[in-house]
Amino acid sequence: MSGAGIGLRAQHHTEILARRPAVNWFEAHSENYFGAGGAHRAQLARICSHYPLSLHGVGLSIGSTDPLNTDHLRQLKRIVREFEPVLVSEHLSWSSVDGRYLNDLLPLPYTEEALRHTAARIGDVQDALGRQILVENISSYLKFECAELTEWEFLTALVRESGCAILLDINNLYVNSMNHGFDARSYLHGIPTAAVREFHLAGHTLTHCGNRDIRIDTHSTHVGSEVWQLYGVALQHFGPRPTLIEWDADIPALCVLQAEAAKADAMIEAFRAIAA
Amino acid sequence: MLRIQAAGIAPELRLGIYRNNLQEGFTKTLALEFPVIQRLVGEDYFRQLALRFLAHHPSRSGDLHHIGAPFAAFLRDEFVGTSYEYFAEVAALEWAWQECLAAEDDEALDPKALQAVPPHDYVRLQFALRKAARLLESAFPIMRIWEVNQPGDSGAEIIDLASGPEFVLVHRVAGCARTTRLSAGEFALLSGLARAEPLGAALDAALLCEPRFDLAVSLQRSFTLGVFARVSF
Repeated sequence: MSGAGIGLRAQHHTEILARRPAVNWFEAHSENYFGAGGAHRAQLARICSHYPLSLHGVGLSIGSTDPLNTDHLRQLKRIVREFEPVLVSEHLSWSSVDGRYLNDLLPLPYTEEALRHTAARIGDVQDALGRQILVENISSYLKFECAELTEWEFLTALVRESGCAILLDINNLYVNSMNHGFDARSYLHGIPTAAVREFHLAGHTLTHCGNRDIRIDTHSTHVGSEVWQLYGVALQHFGPRPTLIEWDADIPALCVLQAEAAKADAMIEAFRAIAA
Repeated sequence: MLRIQAAGIAPELRLGIYRNNLQEGFTKTLALEFPVIQRLVGEDYFRQLALRFLAHHPSRSGDLHHIGAPFAAFLRDEFVGTSYEYFAEVAALEWAWQECLAAEDDEALDPKALQAVPPHDYVRLQFALRKAARLLESAFPIMRIWEVNQPGDSGAEIIDLASGPEFVLVHRVAGCARTTRLSAGEFALLSGLARAEPLGAALDAALLCEPRFDLAVSLQRSFTLGVFARVSF
């Protein structure tokens, strides 16, 4: 599985199966295929027979202090076994407390205590699934006063403690660097190269909060030029990795996603040509 | 208690971003699962209802698809004693539709399975329905309401709420959910079978509410619809 991939959306299933577009690989949201049966699962099975698959979860709530949701984990394990994805990923976040789910991705406090807790949880998930997972950096709109580590120090320690890999979302990195005022290159240099196994690219929205600019990770538009630029820097630093074009809301036609993927592929090719 | 850094934006405003995400995500998903209810009450009022529903029945899963499960019961409580009691029953139909879309796959029973059964044993037959099948009855014309509020229908038709009752089968055919009107007798028969009653008892119930109920015709229709998964006796 290499090159640029595209997020798999239900509204494109029929077209993908009919037209068999030249896409390197697809990434599906795990929870969308938790249903016991039905058309979506059947279509995913058929799509998998033609394309490599990555499974990306949003609802496992890894960082939560609630016990790991065994029902969720069981359903994830079932689809991992059925669809045999090349990569399985989740988020460095929490989204539930006392069994109530916010269905959003909240940032952890980057403390030693949270690190130990999260590393243990990732270990439990990897044991249950029988494989390594990738953990994705999220966009965040707040930081905690008690933070002891930077986000990248936390992520690096997490990799060391749990043996997980990193899904580096270049858009989220850019959004956080602007929202929280740090140099994105510090982040790139501050995480272990070998652990980075996938990139995400997505769009975000510049808006206001109070009387300040803030960037919101909307994943509902084209990848912005500053994110493409940061992706170029990431390619230079890490080398090529499978790169997903992520577009989760206001989904455009498949050919629009393919055009974004083509841009990423062109940058990967250019890197390879220069590095050869 | 963890304190949030201000750093130029008040913590309360930062939390507001997440609160907004939660409300938007929940409302949008609910609208996707109950488009007819949204069409009946309008977008603005649907949003108000969704936020009230969120307060009473927050998501209890990392999979957002489940949020709609208690919505019909919530609408029942919201509109009891008003002229909008039918909302709950339309919502129940919409939720049955969602359940059928995602239910486990199974094969339709071949009618040839009955050939080996001697006719005098028919009364003892027990039928299991397909996993992706739901039966609904309502004093209101819920299927007519559902039909005229589908995309492409103008929704201009005035429906007499007293023109019920209606009996509906929601099921899945080739991956797509469908609604089918049943007669009172068909509903009684299939409901009885779904409760694991033998055919004889289910037929008695069907004849009680529909004296001219024809078992042979009804069974043939049920097989054509692919409603049965297994038969045993």
